[in-house]
This record gives sequence, structure tokens and C-alpha cells, in this order.
Amino acid sequence: MRQDQISRRGLLTSAALVPVSALVGLRTAEAQTTAGTAIDATARETLAAFVDRIVPADSNGPGALECGAHDYIIRALGEFLASEQPQIAKSLADIDAWSIQTRGKSFRMLAPEERDAVIGAMASNEAKGFEPDARAVFLRLRQLTLEGMFSDPFYGGNKGFAGWDLLRYPGPRMAVAPDDQKLTMPKAMRRSAYGAQYGH
Amino acid sequence: MAINLKPVDVIVIGLGAAGGVAVLPLARAGLKVAGIEAGTWMDPHQFRSDELHNNVRGLLTSVPKANQEIPTVRENDRQKARSGGRIHPMMNAIGGTSIHYWAQSWRLKEFDFRTRSETVRRYGAGAIPQGATVEDWPLTYDELEPYYDTIEYELGVSGKAGNIGGVIDPRGNVFEAARRREYPMPPLRGSGFSDLMMKAAKELGWKAYVPPAAINSQSFKGRPGCAYHGYCARGGCHIGAKNSTAVTTIPEAMKTKNLTIFDKAHVRRIETAPDGKAAGVTYIREGKEYFQPASVVMVGGYTYENSRLLLLSKSKPYPRGLSNNHGQVGRHYFGHWANGSVAGLFPFDLNVWYGTPAQGVAVDEWSDDHFDHAGLGFIGGTNLHIHTELHPIESANMPTYGKAPEWGSGWKAFVHNNAARWTASYLQTSSLPYEHTYLDLDPDVRDPLGDSVCRITQGPKENELRAARHAEDRMEEWFRAAGATAVRKGVFNGPGVTTHAYGGTRMGDSAESNVVNRWGFSHEAPNLAILGASVMGTSGSRNPTETVQALAWRTAEWCTKNWKALT
Repeated sequence: MRQDQISRRGLLTSAALVPVSALVGLRTAEAQTTAGTAIDATARETLAAFVDRIVPADSNGPGALECGAHDYIIRALGEFLASEQPQIAKSLADIDAWSIQTRGKSFRMLAPEERDAVIGAMASNEAKGFEPDARAVFLRLRQLTLEGMFSDPFYGGNKGFAGWDLLRYPGPRMAVAPDDQKLTMPKAMRRSAYGAQYGH
Repeated sequence: MAINLKPVDVIVIGLGAAGGVAVLPLARAGLKVAGIEAGTWMDPHQFRSDELHNNVRGLLTSVPKANQEIPTVRENDRQKARSGGRIHPMMNAIGGTSIHYWAQSWRLKEFDFRTRSETVRRYGAGAIPQGATVEDWPLTYDELEPYYDTIEYELGVSGKAGNIGGVIDPRGNVFEAARRREYPMPPLRGSGFSDLMMKAAKELGWKAYVPPAAINSQSFKGRPGCAYHGYCARGGCHIGAKNSTAVTTIPEAMKTKNLTIFDKAHVRRIETAPDGKAAGVTYIREGKEYFQPASVVMVGGYTYENSRLLLLSKSKPYPRGLSNNHGQVGRHYFGHWANGSVAGLFPFDLNVWYGTPAQGVAVDEWSDDHFDHAGLGFIGGTNLHIHTELHPIESANMPTYGKAPEWGSGWKAFVHNNAARWTASYLQTSSLPYEHTYLDLDPDVRDPLGDSVCRITQGPKENELRAARHAEDRMEEWFRAAGATAVRKGVFNGPGVTTHAYGGTRMGDSAESNVVNRWGFSHEAPNLAILGASVMGTSGSRNPTETVQALAWRTAEWCTKNWKALT
């Protein structure tokens, strides 16, 4: 079961939380070799082009690319989501294959409107050649993009807190006063829960 | 070969919401207690203000045991079970899921204890849904009331009484069952959003109130009041204001020197003596196998694990699993599965980012049997609850109410304007056990030790769906009265792995249809007790934890008072 592997691998990689006893009986060798297909330079560019269209830069501020959502995803695929790396690598290759088949060019070489047409065909599940299907790939990459854009910048995305600013999320506070919970929002903190060194 | 340990008086398996409570009356009575827990202590520094860590990746736990044994699910006997998800809703630690739960701390009502007889009395026998195996509890609300009171004062529950000894106070929940005294702390504070919803409910003529929570609204027993910082759901409290058993009953029990905690200990079997009594438990700790003998064994795992552990513990006296000679282990399972998630969109900021899911407003007009069900086609009802605490990724995934695409500039403009202007309600619809809803061992899926995981067989039922749709309409009324301009309905979580799972080791006087007796002890193995919502035969329309804890205290107290007869 792919999903179970993701979960198991994820827990293994967060080593600080896993006492030795928890590993009893686990097939650790399998878990350690799960990461197979690498995300190569082409795949990185495809991913960057993809997140850029999911949340584009516009009059409402920076987009997912400027936020480093693709950096977040690449980093996560090397650690917490390592077991998902082959699947994501395949999905990115499938996006390219569909682009070449329908538009004659790799996804990263397409104009923005053409990239949108490809993503639209994935979202509506009209695009073919994806596993398990185009919409599932679209939803997974969309979710990872949102994670990169809106998680704590500790994880490598949400640069300059542009993601939180977009949502008008005023940032984590260790204590919240009654005035911070009125219908009008308090001043944005623009600070990572992990310290001032993150997010800039 | 297992390493044999020195016998103790009582083993409590699992130091969570239930077991973590039971150890206190046992230890205070002078019994030597072994608390055997899969997880270990957590440090407040592990409790982060981090949505990705807590909510998306579900990493708040001290060991990953739960995620390796997530139950599988199917709707009926003919299906092959599928994965129950990537993240177990419960966690392993000393304190268990009382560390990251929402801490809503409710009492059930008289109706919940007598659902069958009251339904028949009011609406006739035909009103009981076909196939429902619901029975009246073997005890009444009044018998449990002293234990609810004990839990509220030992752990600390904030709230406003609506009914003290029959005297109604409209500042509290006027629909609650009579209580002996006020809560030990006033309710949690409100927010701009909860004030808005309180006012709207009153305009509708509904008697809204601030629901009770096991969270300090002010300092209590040396721990501070809530900081409302907004990372409470699936997060532990960094200041100890959430009254998990890890900061309340377990440390109290340790003061007696009668509780020894065996942490990081994974219980695999309950062993049985030839006479049918429980002899002790076998567990694995850091690769070594131990046998801990005891005079009494109390099983305090989560609902799924309680049935699973009994079914795995086969022996000569119990060839189909411990305490299962009547074939009742795993039966009468149900969950709060028909909860609607009605979401409202407002033309102004709600600012619900901070707070806690227990900081809110609730309405009981449409719960239990507080409204006439004649002609409605269902029994039971729903507690309507709105609350604070919203996180950025969750909010970016907000419903678009048909007003925006799901990606691109149009989506971006939509969330920019509206991420702070929407919220989802929390509707808990009561559900019933049925003939064909049950837990057993999955023949195909095993944990890393090779033990079968629990398999849930439960399909949707018309009674619960009707009740849930009825509640969705009431919730829409409430949102619109408060100014919502769009409402999303029709999204049900459906049967599956849930934090509100009941049954499997039901409590009742008859051994033919129940696993434990009115005191929580097995009908078959006289020195075996079960703690947790697995003994509950009805859910009511509210969170189970305080009832679980009141029952656990009562079972433990009965054990101390009947020690000679039990052993």
C-alpha cells in the first residue's frame, strides 16, 4: 500500500521522535531504499513551472514560485516524503509526456497559457497517462504547493511570509490576548515559530 | 523466552484518557499498580505552533505505534477492507490522546442512558431503526453523576452550570442533566466570532451556551489558564493548561508511590490462567519480551485496540479471544460518523485563527430528544458547535462556495479576500450500533510485529443520515442569522477510523449481548476490566471523553472496594 509506506517512511525519517523500541520488527532495509528515482534538474524545472501556475505572482502578491514552494517540495521529498519521491518523479515526467503529446513541447518550455491548459486538463481528469489518474496527481501537487506556500518558513517555503500575508494570517503567537480575537485582525507578526532566522 | 516480572496488584494497559484516570483511585487505595504504556513522557518543547507538524503530518506522538496499526475499513462483509488512512487519529504517550484532543468535556444526558426505552415510550417500538442493537445502559445518569463530578474537580473542567439540582440557569446549558454543583472554573472566554454566533442563536430563540472544556480558564491546581494560542487541536499544551491525564491524574497517582510506569512497552497479549482468569500481560520493550503478572488486568487502550487485543489473546479457556466465548467482542461498534461539516462564508473577517476548538458556542435544541421527532423518520440528534482555531494550510483549502476556481489567479484572489472570513462548524450526530457493524481482526493487514490490525465493518445508515441532514439545515439557519452569505453543506465524514469510536466491549447486564458488566468487569474473566468508550452503548451527540473518564474512575473504585471478592 503506497499510502502506508509514506506514513511509515515519514515516521522513520523523523528520527528524533522515534525511539529504538519503535523500530522492532520494522523492515528498515526496505524503508531505507524506498527513495529510487531522483528528482533531476528537468523535473525540478517542471515542478517550479507547475507551482508557478497553481499560485501565480500577480497583483495580490508573490506566487508559489517566489514563496519557494518548489524548494519546500524538493526538500520534503528528501526527508519526510522520501517514499513518495518515485511517484512524484513519475508524475512530473507524465506531465511532460502529456505536454509533448498535446502541445509538442515539454511543460517547462510552454507559455503560461499553455501550461494552464495542461493543468486544466489534469484538474478535469481529461489528461491521460497519469497514475493513478491526472486529477489525483493534480490534487497531490496542489496540496504540496499549498504546504510549501503556507507552512512555517522553517520548512523552506513561505519566503518573506508572503504565503501568510496572502491569507492575511497574522502568524503564530505564544499567547493571544482578548483583543487579538476580535472580528478585526491583529497586526501580522511575520515570525517563524522556530525563531527569527527563518522566513527571510 | 519472556522475562518474568514481579507480580503487581493491578495492570492498567494504556495511560491515556481512560487508563490515566483509573490509576489514581487504584493507587490511592494502596494497590500496587503497573501502568503499561506504548508511548512515553512528552516534553512541552515537543508541543509546537506548527500546522505542518501537528495537523498535516500528524507527528505529535512519542512513539509511532498507532500509525503502524491503523484499522482497515469496509462497509459490509462482501467487501475487501481498504486502508483506514495515513494518520491514526489517536496518539501514543503517557497521557495518550488527552494530550492532543480538543478537550471538550461533556456529560451525557438521561436520554443517552435510556435511549431504547425512552424512544419506545415516546414514539413506539417502530421508531427504533431496523437492525439497531441499542440497549439501555445498565446504569442511569444519576448513578454516574458523582463520578462526572469527581472528574471535573480532579482534572479541572471549565464551564457554566445550566442545571444544579433541578434549578435552571440560562447562563449555562439549560438542557443539561442535573448536576450537584457548579463547575470548578468559569467557562473559557469568548471571541469576536463566538459573541457574534451567541447573539445570532439568541435571535433565533435558541438557548446557546459556552460548552464545557477540560482546559483551565484560570489558574487551577498550580497550572495556568489557557493562552488561546491556536495550536491546540492535535497539539499538546505548551503551558499545561489542557488537563490531559499527563499533567493531572497520572502525576497525582505517582505521588502515592504505588504506580510504576512501564513506558515504551508494546502489549501483545493478555495471558490467561487455566481457570479462565486473566494472569497478566506479555509486552515488548526495546526488543525484549516481558511477562507482567497481576491479580487484576484493566484494558485501557483505544476502542479499536481494546477489541483487537482481546481477539488476539486466544487461549484454551477462550479459543475465540479473551472474554469472547459469547461472541460479543467487537460487536455493537459504532462511531460518530455522520457528522456534517457545514461551512459558512461571511462578508467580514471572523478572525478565528487563534483560540482552541473548545472555545466556542454550542446549541442543544436539536440534540438528543429535546425536540419532537414525530414524523421526522429518525431518532437522536446533533449538538451544533462553532469554535475558533484555524490554520493557514487548512484555510487555503477552504471551500470556494462555487465562487472561484481551485487554482490560479482567480483562486488566489478568492483566498486573499476570504481565508479569514469563513469557518466550519462541528456537528456531532448521535449514532447507534447495528447488527452488522462490528470490529474484528483483518486477515490480510498486520502490524510490524505480525499481529493483525483491527478491521472496521460499518456501512452508512439512513437514521443517522437523516439526523445529520436535519442538523445541517439548523446549522445553516444559525450561520445565516449571523450574517453568512454562503453556506456549504452535504459533506459527511462517513464511516471510517474516528476519534469517537464506541462499542466492541459493550457494558450491560446480559452476557449474551455484552462483554462487561455494569462495573466494567468482564462477564467471563472475573478479574478483567475494560476502560474506554468501547464499553459505551450509546454516544449521545457530544464528545465521549468525560464519560469515559467517569466510567474509568467508577470501575477502578469498584475494584478497590471489592478487592477480596475479585482476587
